[in-house]
Formats: sequence, C-alpha cells, structure tokens
Amino acid sequence: MTSFPMHNFAGRTAVLLHRSDEPARRVAERCGSLGIHVLPRSGDLEAEAADRADMVILDIDTGHDGQLPWMPGQAPMPVVGLVGSESPGRLAWALNQGLDAYLPLSALGTLFSALVIAHETFARRAERRRRDAEAAARRGGRLDVIRAVLALMEDGGDEALALKQLRAMAMVEQVPLETAARRLLGGAAPRRAGGR
Amino acid sequence: MTLKLGLLFSTTGPYAALGQSALAGALGAIDALAEAGTARIEAVIRDPGGDHALYETQAAGLLDDGVRNIVGAITSWSRKDLIPVLERKGGLLWYPCPYEGFESNDRVVYLGAAPNHHVVPATDWIAARGMRSAYLVGSNYIWGWETLRLARDRLQAAGVEIAGERFVPLGSTDHGHIVDEIAATRPDCVVNSLIGPSGVTLLQDLAARDASRRGRAGHMVSFNQTEADLDQLGPAADGLLSAGSFFAGDASPALVSAAQRRAPNARPSAFLAGAHAAVEIFAAAALEAGTDDPRALFAAASARPTPTAMGEVAIDPVLRHAGHAPRLALARGGRFEIVARAPDAVPADPYLARQGTPGAQRRPDLRVVT
Repeated sequence: MTSFPMHNFAGRTAVLLHRSDEPARRVAERCGSLGIHVLPRSGDLEAEAADRADMVILDIDTGHDGQLPWMPGQAPMPVVGLVGSESPGRLAWALNQGLDAYLPLSALGTLFSALVIAHETFARRAERRRRDAEAAARRGGRLDVIRAVLALMEDGGDEALALKQLRAMAMVEQVPLETAARRLLGGAAPRRAGGR
Repeated sequence: MTLKLGLLFSTTGPYAALGQSALAGALGAIDALAEAGTARIEAVIRDPGGDHALYETQAAGLLDDGVRNIVGAITSWSRKDLIPVLERKGGLLWYPCPYEGFESNDRVVYLGAAPNHHVVPATDWIAARGMRSAYLVGSNYIWGWETLRLARDRLQAAGVEIAGERFVPLGSTDHGHIVDEIAATRPDCVVNSLIGPSGVTLLQDLAARDASRRGRAGHMVSFNQTEADLDQLGPAADGLLSAGSFFAGDASPALVSAAQRRAPNARPSAFLAGAHAAVEIFAAAALEAGTDDPRALFAAASARPTPTAMGEVAIDPVLRHAGHAPRLALARGGRFEIVARAPDAVPADPYLARQGTPGAQRRPDLRVVT
C-alpha cells in the first residue's frame, strides 16, 4: 500500500525570509489558509526565531550564507526556496544550501506541493544523515573488533572461532558487532598484538 | 453591455447526464438574468462529448474568439486539462462541480463542494451509524483515487475496517469481480466514487445479487450522486446516501423553473444549481467591475458574498473556493430526502487543514432534519 507523506501543516510555524512586502504578503496569506503561522523577517534569521520555527520559506534572490544560523546543507528543518530571477548564480547558491523544495513566485498556488516535498525531502535527508553517522561509527569500531578477536583467541581458538564467538555475543545482546567488541574489551587499556 | 460567456459541458458521452444538468443550470440563469433585465449574456456553447483532448482545443477556440470566462468542466480530469490553456490565453474557469480538493489555481474559481463538504460529513456519518466495514470502489482517475484515499484514512481512524478497494476505468461497466468481492466480504457499506455508467451498473448489479440491501440506509455512500442521473439508477438507488452542497428538496423557485425549462429530466441537481450560481456570480461581478477581465472579476466576486438561487455564496479570495452548507441525503423512491444539514455555510477547506483527527469526532457536524 502507498504511504503518504506528511500533508497537514496546521498549527506549525514558518519563518518567511523576504524583503518585498507584496510577495511576502501573498506567501503569508496562503500559509494562513493552510493553518500555518508565519514569522516574517526581512533581514537575517536570528537563532532565536529559528528555534521557534518548524520550517523556513526564503527568497532565493536575496539569500546569502550569513542569513541563516547554520552551515550550508545543515538546516535543521525543511527549507523552501522561492524562485524569482532564475539566474544561475542564485540557483547555485540555493543548490549549495541544499534547499528541500523550490517554488516559483509565479506559482504560489502550489505552495502546498512545495511544503509536502520539502518535508519529505528533509525527512529523507535526516534519515540519510543518521545512516551515515551509524556507518561512520561502525567504521570507527573496526579496531575494537580486531582487538576483541585477538582477546578471544587467547583462549586457544583461531580467528574464525573468535569472530563467531563475538557475533554470538552481539546477537544475544542485540547490538552491533562493534558495540559487542567494545563491551568485551570493557574499557580496559587495549592490548597491542604481540604483547607490547 | 452584453457579456460573452463560454459554456463547456459534455452533454454527450459517458457522463452526459451531469453535463446536461449543468448546462441547464447555466442557461436557466442566463434566461433569468435577461428576463429580469439584470444582464445580457451571450452564451457560446461547446460540447467536448467527454473526450478529454477536446476540452483543451475547444477552450482554446473559445478564448481565441474573445471569450475570457468559461463556466464548465465536470470531471477533475477535464478541469486539469483546461488549466494550461487558461494560463496561456488568460482565461478564467468558473468550475461548478464537486471535486476532491488539493488544488487552488489562479485561473479557476472552485464553486462546487470541497472534500470537507462531502467526504468528511459522509465518512463521519458512516462511523456515527456504527458501521464496522466498508468496501471502496472508484473510477480510475484523480476523483476516485483521492476521495477514496480520504475516505480510507478517515474510516480507518474511526475504526471502520476496509474490506476492499478497487478502481475501474472511467466509463467501464466490467466489474463482475467487484460484485463478487462485495458479495463475499459483505461490508456494511460500499463507498462509491464511480461516475457515469460505471456507478449505474454497479448499483444495479449489487441490487440484483441481493435485493434486501435496498432496505439498509447507507448500504452505498456517494460523494457526488445527484438528481442529474438518479433516474438512471432506478429502484436500486433506494437507501443510497449522498453528500453534497445541494439537493432538490432545497431548490428555490428559480432553480425549479430553470430545471423545468432547460433540463432534459426537469430536475434540479447540485450540477444544475452550481452552474446556475456560477453564471449569477459571474454576471454580478462583471456588472460591478464593468469589465469581463478575469482578475477584476475574481476580485469583485470574492470581495463579498453574492446572492444566488442556491443562497448567498462567499468565495475565499486566497484559496478561490466557495463555502457551502453540507447536506446528507438518502435516496428513496427516486428522490433524495435530506437527512442532515449544516446550519450555515462552511468555508471550503480544500487541503483539509482545518479538520480534526478523523474519528475523534464521531458525529457529523450536521443537524438532523426531522
């Protein structure tokens, strides 16, 4: 069965970064129709306002890195870019920011679609970051696995048997192999191969 | 000033009955405005015959010939096909029919019932009746897909089991397998988003299989069944519940007159009333604005409610949708009897942003009519 993306934004808050009154008014009234509370900002986005927001809608034409209280690509919430000029330089800035969805100012009638896409893209981005962090943590634990295997080999088995024992421990405790290795080593000072 | 207005309804083809009813409403309003001396409207009528490709070419022809406003389209498929040509040539579509929501285009005014006027009250009614299971069947395009998605979400949240969900091609009557499944799963109700001949034959085939179902109120639930094609259903329609913005029991003398003069079946319906109101709102806006420029017309039409033969109609200036007082009606003896009616018009909520958690509120927010 198809699963549906988030599509009800009522009660949420959007920061709207735009310097011109008319586009800002049109975006704000459309947000209001979807039950979204808007915090309009004509300058930079201060961290305090960002803390109160669930999403950001910004004007690509006047956007710059210093405007946002996070590093490019690290936005902690969905971000929609309003496309005005279509100049390659502006689009390059937006792409470098890793915005989650784009909405031409001439098509504000489809704001709902942009919000659905932005929230789904953000959710996938967050999931990808979580998986990347997990993979990095596992890569960092490889040395512990080798050390745990060597420790288990001191009981007389070979490396295949030692790895099998470590896997059994991980399975019983329902943790990754690297975590089981760290637990086995018990935080004791790792012994280097060769006993030195 | 004579106003030019395109009327683009399929009065032939698979859903001709709906187009004929809508066209009758539009022409009835034009008659009434002329007789009252309020406005002279030159109607330019086109019939795409239910052929989707023809909507675009006929609308382009109308707009090239100096028409800037069109009342028309029945299906969402045809409305969506019209939008690019309206954008390209600067036209405005006054769309008078119920639809599935989730759209708000600058070239369209949405005058029919939105999902909070039909799916929401109808599914709340199913849950409030204590029904335990529902079978969903719809035509295989966006109206069927989206109304049944909403129905499934709301019914499941209310604890109603979905016994099955099937789609058939628009106009198809090949649904023996669906009749078999319904007979096998015995749901408390069939939620029907079929349009045209598909809906007629399914209901008749179900009645032929089990005649006793006609005695069960709400054995079938529809979000768009109207008097436009109720006669085609025959006695099999008894017990069918429909939701919408209008039923003939509420028809004003103007709508009764329009139906008698212009409709082939002489019956008012939501399609007739919606198209009648569309013409009235168009005319009032054009007279106030002194032009038929679509932007000026929409600004005038959405500035304040317009009196129409189906009551005052207010249009949201941002979402471009009309408000309606939703009604629920049960078919009996070839007529709809209104069983619940909202006390006041409810603004359209096409994105369902203002609806509570489905199932949290078990009773439809409608008053029972005694």
